[in-house]
Amino acid sequence: MTFKDFYQFASPTRVVCGRELLASAGFEFAKQGAERVLVVTDQVIRATGLVEKVEGGVADGGLEVAGIFDDVPQDSDTAVVTRCAEQAMEAGADSFLAVGGGSVIDTTKGANVVFSHGGAIPDWEGVFQLPRERDGMGRPLPLAPLGAIPTTAGTGSEASPVAVIKDSERGVKVLLLDFPLAPDLAILDPESTATLPAPIAAATGMDALTHAIEGVTSTEWSPHGDAHALHALRLISDNLERAVGDTSDEDARGNMLVAANLAIAPTGFGATGITHSMSHPCGARYGVPHGVANAINLPPVIEFNAVVSEEVADQFRDAAEVLGVDARGGGQRIGRTLADHVRELRGRLGLPGRLSEVGVPEEGISRLAEDAMGEGSTLVNPRQPSEEDFVELFQQAL
Amino acid sequence: MAYFNDAQEVYDTLGKLFVDLAEDEELAPKFRKADTIVRYEYREPESTITVRLQEGQPGDVDFGESEMEPEVVMSMEADTAHRFWLGQVNVTVALARGQIKAKGPVAKILRLVPLTKPVFPRYKAQLESQGRTDLIEA
Repeated sequence: MTFKDFYQFASPTRVVCGRELLASAGFEFAKQGAERVLVVTDQVIRATGLVEKVEGGVADGGLEVAGIFDDVPQDSDTAVVTRCAEQAMEAGADSFLAVGGGSVIDTTKGANVVFSHGGAIPDWEGVFQLPRERDGMGRPLPLAPLGAIPTTAGTGSEASPVAVIKDSERGVKVLLLDFPLAPDLAILDPESTATLPAPIAAATGMDALTHAIEGVTSTEWSPHGDAHALHALRLISDNLERAVGDTSDEDARGNMLVAANLAIAPTGFGATGITHSMSHPCGARYGVPHGVANAINLPPVIEFNAVVSEEVADQFRDAAEVLGVDARGGGQRIGRTLADHVRELRGRLGLPGRLSEVGVPEEGISRLAEDAMGEGSTLVNPRQPSEEDFVELFQQAL
Repeated sequence: MAYFNDAQEVYDTLGKLFVDLAEDEELAPKFRKADTIVRYEYREPESTITVRLQEGQPGDVDFGESEMEPEVVMSMEADTAHRFWLGQVNVTVALARGQIKAKGPVAKILRLVPLTKPVFPRYKAQLESQGRTDLIEA
């Protein structure tokens, strides 16, 4: 195995994992310095009664709920972030607790930046743009305490230093990446995914699977990232179908929360790949849910990447072995076998198998390929694709 | 010790490369697909190059102050930029280490990185023709 010229890894989020933790949300969040908490969620989650339990838990820990912002839509945007930050200021909050999926958590991260440093989201767009000591080169200035209780097991946003927020005015997705964006606290409790519908559990689980496989095979892989991603694959292999097949299986749901949390570790430091490059424009142009797009796009990408070198074939072999897939043979064979495994898993989970089934038309492919070329994930894929390669991959997925 | 003594040296070398690329019949149309205006803010020495990469627009390159409003701002030491164009800097690593800071829609610029590879020998040849082999050997 190559000794890398450079990589870095951090895991700044304190993870608290187990059962019946919602009742002690305040006890745990107090350790991060929170006193007056703005709870951020969406109306679907609020209707399940989960937020009330969290509110009770916050109060039980001696903290005050300064307010509840439940206006986060499925695909949140910068205007929502601004409103959320304004509510925190008006309510005299000093901290944020996100209860929801990726959109809720990313909205909360963005709101915390605006709340703590002022301005608006576009002012902070980019990589390592948050204010720092020593004229921008030193230690980052702190944000307000942020806790997250994920209600899906997929995005891993509760432990990543990244936020992606739509800017509806400009019609673009804004990326913020900086260490302080990683939440201070993540509470992983299977009670928070108890009402998650099976199709969403399936799609978000495939998102976690994609994070883990791309994390291991990206040019930005790292031994630290692998340690997280490979164990995530073990957990996904053992628990995803159980969690989807029987949504009352609390062990499986809990293990999937852990898997998603581990799988995001390499991605948070740039180890990703072109499955994401393909899936992002599918979502932006045709509204394909991210996990569903990943589930469809991952197999042809595995076959495309696995043949590029022996080293990459070995990385796919590591992933395959953990998933219990026959890992013999060269890159072409291992790529095909692993891709078939993912296709079969996707089928058993009841997810769509083709982009054409989820509203992507053939005439849209050239535009999707152009978009995919412009994705940051393309640069860190183990095999550099041309636009023509993307056209072919989209055609295979169609 | 830094490669460049003052901003003018940066403009004479890196700046000239940007001007030449903006006029290149093969590469310029590919770079303009980024459809943005990018400002490179260099330290040691302080210097600024602003480049228009917009389809259907002239390939303007300004040194120092510019009236062009940048959408993306890339800041780094001038040495890092110089070493990048010699093919000696991995952009993803430099971003991860904070050696290059990117403000704005970074993906618009990252998509151009694979296109820069053929430019590396060209920059080296340019320096040689300018009699600046000291910048290659340093």
